[in-house]
Amino acid sequence: MKKILPTSNAIIAVISGSLVLLGYFFPGVFGNIQSILIGWAIILAAFALFLGIFNLAIVHWKKAKTTGPSSIYSLVLLISLFLTIIIVSLSGPTGSFSLWIFNTFQVPVEISLLAVLAVVLVFSGARLLTRRPKWQTVLFLVIVLVVLLGSAPLFLLGEVAPLIALRGWLAQVPAVAGARGLLLGVALGTVATGLRILIGVDRPYGG
Amino acid sequence: MEQVLDLINNYLGLLFILLCLGLILFFYFSDRNRPKISLREIQAFRHIRREVDLAVEAGKRLHISLGRGNINDLQGGAAFIGLTILDRSARAASNSDLPPMVSSGDGVLTILSQDTLQFTYHSLATEQRYNPTNARLTGLTSMAYAAGCMPIIHDEHISANIFAGHLGTEIALLTEAGERSRSLTVAGTDSIHAQAVLFATSDEPLLGEELYAAGAYLGAGLAHSASLRMQDILRWVLVVAILIGAIIKLIGILP
Repeated sequence: MKKILPTSNAIIAVISGSLVLLGYFFPGVFGNIQSILIGWAIILAAFALFLGIFNLAIVHWKKAKTTGPSSIYSLVLLISLFLTIIIVSLSGPTGSFSLWIFNTFQVPVEISLLAVLAVVLVFSGARLLTRRPKWQTVLFLVIVLVVLLGSAPLFLLGEVAPLIALRGWLAQVPAVAGARGLLLGVALGTVATGLRILIGVDRPYGG
Repeated sequence: MEQVLDLINNYLGLLFILLCLGLILFFYFSDRNRPKISLREIQAFRHIRREVDLAVEAGKRLHISLGRGNINDLQGGAAFIGLTILDRSARAASNSDLPPMVSSGDGVLTILSQDTLQFTYHSLATEQRYNPTNARLTGLTSMAYAAGCMPIIHDEHISANIFAGHLGTEIALLTEAGERSRSLTVAGTDSIHAQAVLFATSDEPLLGEELYAAGAYLGAGLAHSASLRMQDILRWVLVVAILIGAIIKLIGILP
């Protein structure tokens, strides 16, 4: 049975993947089966989310039972999770109490982390020269500085037209060219990864 | 003639996929008898191999983070590479006291990472080492995911962090946490914005298609080397096509 299961997993994955792919090119023939399979995948993803949250609760339940300094955070997480599930179940996902939780806790905490992110990026940029003292690093930092200076009016000087023009050229010509090059590489890599799974040589599903 | 051109245009994507598939299969079968395929040096992969060895010796563990890409979407491609890295790292660190820790920001990825760990330990006949809580869902939004990963980096005796998957600019918070806990950070993602951030914040950033070469560099099998060769050839074909297109447009043949 242990040997049969991985093979059957692979056969199901290869057939399902091929049918979904063919559905994009022959919607008349494979469109319906593609919709059904994607629908099943969405249902499974929702159930996987439920299992993931269950896993998160188990991890923090184990942590909360320990006497470590971070056990209090795990306890707070478990109480918050429990209360949120109860309130959202009673009030509904778009109910006033659910939105109150979202707007009062989730949004401010995430915005605070975004603010921290801005500071982290400035520090990392400053530290980059000591970490990687190369000409590419200097070029990177000079371009960051030019783009920053060209993005907003300067103190006492106002808008500096050459800086704005240079920023526009940097953003629209070299940056776009570089980004497209990177995206082409990513696209080829994604196709290769998909094909390896489609022909069953890569089996991220325990095969 | 127009009908033929329309048909080709409609099925260009399918032709491209068939071409990729053909090249992968060609290299897969033609390279079977080759002793070794030489690959250019990418420091990040050399560091991953070294850190796995060091983690085993120092009694520490690796943290592999798969990002928060949905596998029903394009973002799933990078996460699958993360799963390949997880499999190879778990095998290499199988005699370590502490097994790798995996984090993700998507329920499906969490289950797949648990499954990958379980299958890896099962194939090594060390199934008793498998612990489902070593693969964790840390948060579903970008910031929640980052906030959930940070305690793992600080508290779980991590020697190196490998981020491979769909991640946004929140990766800066994670690389900073890695820096503060004095652990190495190797990171690759499919997001262009995050790659720019990685260049500034990560010890070893994997840019562009480098992430997708992970399987070939970590010895995941001939199929990975074959697909890497396919990517190399098609990249050059695309570069030549873009240059020809630009020249044709420059001299005024194309409108």
